[in-house]
Amino acid sequence: MWENLISYMPHWQVFMQGFVAFIIPFLIFKLFNGLLLEKKKNGKIEMKEYTNQQEPDQQFSQETVDQFIGDFNKDFERMKKELGHNWDVHFREFQIGATDIRAAIIFLDGLADTEQINKHILKSIMERFSNTSASFFTEGDKLQSIMKNNISIRDVLEESTVQGTVGKVLTGYTALFVDGMPNALMLCTINGKTRNIEEPISEAVVRGPRVGFTEKLSDNTALLRQQGENQQLSILQMGVGKRVKKRLVIAYMDEIVDPELVEEVKKRIQTIDLDNLLESGYIEQLIEDNYLSPFTQVQNTERPDRVYGALMEGRVAILLDGTPFALIVPVTINMLLQSPEDYYERWLPSSLIRLLRYLAAGITLFAPSLYIAFVSFHQGLIPTKLALSMMATREGVPFPALIEALIMEVAIEILREAGLRLPKPIGPTMGIVGGLVIGEAAVQAGIVSPIMVIVVALTAISSFAIPQYNAGITLRMLRFVAMISAALFGLYGIILFFLFLCSHLVKLKSFGVPYVSPTVPYRAGDWKDFMVRMPLMTMKRRPKLLQPKDSVRKGEIRGKENNSYDHQSKR
Amino acid sequence: MITSPKDKITTSQTMVIIINYILATGILTLPRASVEKVKTPDVWISVFLGGIVAMIAGVIIVKLSQQYPDKTFYQYNQDIVGKWLGWLISLFVIVYFFTISAFEVRIMAEVTSLFLLEGTPTWAIILPFLWVGLYLISGGINSIGRLFEIIFPITFVIFLLVAFLSIGIFEIDNLRPVLGLGVMPMLKGIKTATLAFLGPEIMLLLVAFMYPSDKKKAVKVVLVGIAIPLLFYVITVVMVIGALSIEGVMTRTWPTIELMRSFEIPGLIFERFESFLLVIWIMQIFATFTITYYAAALGLAQLFKKSMHPFLYGLLPIIYIIAMTPKNINDLFKFGDNIGHAALFLFGALPITLLLISKLKGNKA
Repeated sequence: MWENLISYMPHWQVFMQGFVAFIIPFLIFKLFNGLLLEKKKNGKIEMKEYTNQQEPDQQFSQETVDQFIGDFNKDFERMKKELGHNWDVHFREFQIGATDIRAAIIFLDGLADTEQINKHILKSIMERFSNTSASFFTEGDKLQSIMKNNISIRDVLEESTVQGTVGKVLTGYTALFVDGMPNALMLCTINGKTRNIEEPISEAVVRGPRVGFTEKLSDNTALLRQQGENQQLSILQMGVGKRVKKRLVIAYMDEIVDPELVEEVKKRIQTIDLDNLLESGYIEQLIEDNYLSPFTQVQNTERPDRVYGALMEGRVAILLDGTPFALIVPVTINMLLQSPEDYYERWLPSSLIRLLRYLAAGITLFAPSLYIAFVSFHQGLIPTKLALSMMATREGVPFPALIEALIMEVAIEILREAGLRLPKPIGPTMGIVGGLVIGEAAVQAGIVSPIMVIVVALTAISSFAIPQYNAGITLRMLRFVAMISAALFGLYGIILFFLFLCSHLVKLKSFGVPYVSPTVPYRAGDWKDFMVRMPLMTMKRRPKLLQPKDSVRKGEIRGKENNSYDHQSKR
Repeated sequence: MITSPKDKITTSQTMVIIINYILATGILTLPRASVEKVKTPDVWISVFLGGIVAMIAGVIIVKLSQQYPDKTFYQYNQDIVGKWLGWLISLFVIVYFFTISAFEVRIMAEVTSLFLLEGTPTWAIILPFLWVGLYLISGGINSIGRLFEIIFPITFVIFLLVAFLSIGIFEIDNLRPVLGLGVMPMLKGIKTATLAFLGPEIMLLLVAFMYPSDKKKAVKVVLVGIAIPLLFYVITVVMVIGALSIEGVMTRTWPTIELMRSFEIPGLIFERFESFLLVIWIMQIFATFTITYYAAALGLAQLFKKSMHPFLYGLLPIIYIIAMTPKNINDLFKFGDNIGHAALFLFGALPITLLLISKLKGNKA
């Protein structure tokens, strides 16, 4: 009896392996937790430093130094001291009309509109009052209101602090000082540089509006407004950037969007604590849910129609001044394989093209790894003839399948990157020639097999069939992981990789919405716009996964079935 | 958005979890195990009846859980039978769950090293599998539910495809005569067949995770959840026996894979389809492994009223060592039978007793 039991006692190695089974994931867990904690700690430290800096600033401003004294000479000198060292800041002193009341304007060359300054500020002040006497101004406190009411500029603000004035002048306002006037008047003469509206290069469509966002925020919001009259489109301003202040707006449809989503977006944007945000990519990285994930959790787009479509589904858009890329949250995985054109074309072709994209994504991810698995582990699982011809072409190849695949995959990634950075006329030529030469020459030299070249080429082309550039990169990145796991464990490794990938995806959330929706949980309504795009007349509801306030897209069922609220809370 | 209730699963998720839990080793072993007992072609009737038995057990389990809709089994059994006895029962159930997960892992390793990875050491096959499972489970029941919903359609489509393709070598004569030797042999197979339907016991825990408005649908969920695997199993058994005949099934360790290997369809890209079957089968084993692993960890966490994470990590070496204990494949099958017998007691006899006690208690109160 005992002997029998003891014979079942596992070998000590098994215990060691059991320990390994425990310690490795535990260490990885500790490592990642450590990373996350570090991030939190850093956040705290930054905040402390920030408050330290902020306090003296506040004291400084409270000590009246910042206020204008009301004495023209001193205030003007003060402004000169603050701004005079800049080459592009111009100071212009003059007198009002025929009187000897002195005045001065300060403006930034280039940002402020010279024509407006000449025609509307200088002209109106100098010429208009040419017949008035000085006493007309000095009586009572009328000076300021006269000035305010007689300058033909659309926005006129009063500013009583030096810092405020400096800030405004640096963004393109013209500051007007008049002797005897306690505050400065800020005249809106902003005329920033921008470019024309062009078709977005990164998201081309055959059919659809040829309009893309530009670098100017007001142009971009105007493009959204231009989509049609809509009183529900709310565009809220928020400021970001500690040292370089930038304007940022969030846009959403008032009566569609889930208010909690808007609150969450606002909250996350407010926590951004960074000196300067050059591009919306900064925001994307700072507000995403999981920065360790290879998947992009915020969608970026240059297309106003895409943004508008997302808004109408109940999503929120974030637009930053100075970049043509708007952000859309929350993102679900199916959005990465959709193009706005899917909705403009008829449903059958768009559905087929969409299925094709899913196939392309699968090929991108798994083709090279399947090749490796079948060549190095499971020759028996593929048809005999195919196996024979594959083996025959691989005869002279001195490397194992993994190395062979890695050589080609890395080469093609380098080609892609080089083609991207090269000047436009050379880029494509270089890509094609490089690809052909390397592929052909590598086969001739016996470094890789011809089938490998086919697999690699197919993979590369498939990865470019994905409409979102960054989603394509993600898949290409993961492809290497798949290749390595296939080299280690063959088909079993690919299954494990697939399970691991799915495990990661189901855990991932984008602003509270599960990333894998609408794949799961099963919701037939949302599937109408998933792998296939059903005819528009059947898509009567907005995606439920976003929990829109008003779920009905088409009018006719509004009366009948608007009691769908009780189903909405489930996810 | 953010209010989306944590740790709640939908009806379809519950159903899919049951289906994925039941579908596991049975696809590969049920034909042989049941044919060995029955020895006539009536195995498919046994399997059918086994499914019915499992359904009855499942309904009892659901009825029991519905008495305490917001608690899991680990929490409410102490209300029924008192603190210490309840604690002990919970402990048994936990041991059962992680033992079965270890069993599934080992079976997976055996089949993988036989058909896919000859020469790769068992530990190298098992360890990454355990880790991927751990990674999934650390996301909680929601992640598990969603992942199961992803792999279920894949399983469904590929399984039907593969079964349909094997129709070329199917011979109806192998299934005749129906009840040729009377009813007795068929009845002998019912117990073995029932053991393939281990899985409804997860409803002891899942009812607590369902949405309050869905809890009354739990009976329907468990019935459909068993009916679909029942369909799968009956198709498997009919196809395997139809193609390989009774004698052929008994001499093969993994008759279902042998079936897939025994036909070739030239002209398609693939001529042989056992790789497809293995792919979905490994996914199903993964599903069974993760849900039992989760159930065990959840039980420990609720028993000691701690967070789940330390138990998740602590269970890994235990599962591994149990998985490595059986010396060979026959040991492993014996081990599986013992687990099945334990399950018959734990989830056949026990729930109905508990249900009766709670009803009596409820009447008193």
